[in-house]
Amino acid sequence: MRGMRFALLAWLLVLPGCGFAWRAMKRNLAAPPERKVAHKIQDPRRPDARLAALWVGHATVLLQLDDRFVLTDPVFSHTLAQVSPRLVEPGFEPENLPPLAAVVVSHMHFDHLSFSSLDRIEPRTAIVLVPPGVRASMPRYDFEIRELAPWTAYEQGGLRITAVPVQHVGGRYGIDAAFETRAFTGYVFEYRGLSVYFGGDAAYAPRAFRAAHARFPNLSLAILPICPNQPREYMSHTHEGPSQALDAFLLLGAARMIPIHFDTYINSDDAPGACPAELRRQMQARGLSAEQVITLGFGEQRVLIEK
Amino acid sequence: MSPLFAASIWGLTQLVPSPLLVTGKEHVGGGLRWQVTPLLYSFGIAARPVRAFFVSPIARHSGSVELHASPEWACCAPADASSWLVRAGLRLYLPLLEHGEQLSWSLGGAYYRAAGGGGASADLGLYTFSGVLGLTVTVSPWLSRRELITALNIRYF
Repeated sequence: MRGMRFALLAWLLVLPGCGFAWRAMKRNLAAPPERKVAHKIQDPRRPDARLAALWVGHATVLLQLDDRFVLTDPVFSHTLAQVSPRLVEPGFEPENLPPLAAVVVSHMHFDHLSFSSLDRIEPRTAIVLVPPGVRASMPRYDFEIRELAPWTAYEQGGLRITAVPVQHVGGRYGIDAAFETRAFTGYVFEYRGLSVYFGGDAAYAPRAFRAAHARFPNLSLAILPICPNQPREYMSHTHEGPSQALDAFLLLGAARMIPIHFDTYINSDDAPGACPAELRRQMQARGLSAEQVITLGFGEQRVLIEK
Repeated sequence: MSPLFAASIWGLTQLVPSPLLVTGKEHVGGGLRWQVTPLLYSFGIAARPVRAFFVSPIARHSGSVELHASPEWACCAPADASSWLVRAGLRLYLPLLEHGEQLSWSLGGAYYRAAGGGGASADLGLYTFSGVLGLTVTVSPWLSRRELITALNIRYF
């Protein structure tokens, strides 16, 4: 089994032609057992909250906007593509989800689109929003799968979700990235005066962040990826590091930021804890406080705006 | 990555053969098999069910019927026959785990054509790792000295 995992990881990671793949592969093979999360929240509904966020892990966030709930990039599985083990278990059980107004998927990489996770949340949502081209790479479900092109919106019961452009890479299995050139996006959720930016997984692209700020000048919250960071030169085309994430936060002009996409899987040269540590250093350098940039623990929920 | 470069990689990966274990009544040997999918209909995918040649793993393994063609070199043919043959047939894929990405199985039937004549064969397969790896067993009762062929299926798209 170990040999098979090694061969598959080599196959999946070497295709893009990056040297760090071998290091990531070795680290994945030597990964410790999945760490447990103590005291998981059973009922995430917060009657005292106008805006609340619960970080499940990686890019999975349960957002409460008044009486509406939205789930981002749901991944509750314990390995990615059977080869990359999860370092920390999901901080929330999908069976405890409240009825969801929508689920969004930023792109179809294994760490953002998990078919078994969608099976588990299938009874909780009527719609899953995806970027252009992704429907053809998804199996059938009971919920509607709707593709949103950049700057188009889905609206239901006062909740408006707009796809916003980001810079990343599409595809799921390697070479399909060349044909799925629009299959990645960010989203902005708007409801009763609240607005939340979800960056999914993206590189630092100032033009895209400025355009989002011009369209949504009063963002209540920006949820931004801060990892993978190293090797920076390779990652810079597709991923923000902590420093770029803070730059993006400032360009977006959001009231507060929640960092995501770190310490859940091994997909870079970054050691666990390295990205949040770098984030803290960069926050200090920019004079940003822990009230502005709120780092949640696995399974931690925070009320960001009270009623 | 440009589409042309990606298509080139796809073309190269189609040249990677699957190794065979050829089991006849009195002989055991090796072989190689290539495979291509001119047409596939996926009933497990949410959109664009008809695919040709470039078939994403989820389209195939979430549930599909494919028309396949498989050139094959299998050892131990009788002295008056060639070791080369071509199979063409239909194969049904059904998902077992993760909509087939983790585990799926297949059942197929094909007509083979070798230098000495043709005949029917049937195959049964089990696939994992998004279909990159699989194990298939092909039974060809009338293919002399190569009645049972077990393949370590290697396939990328």
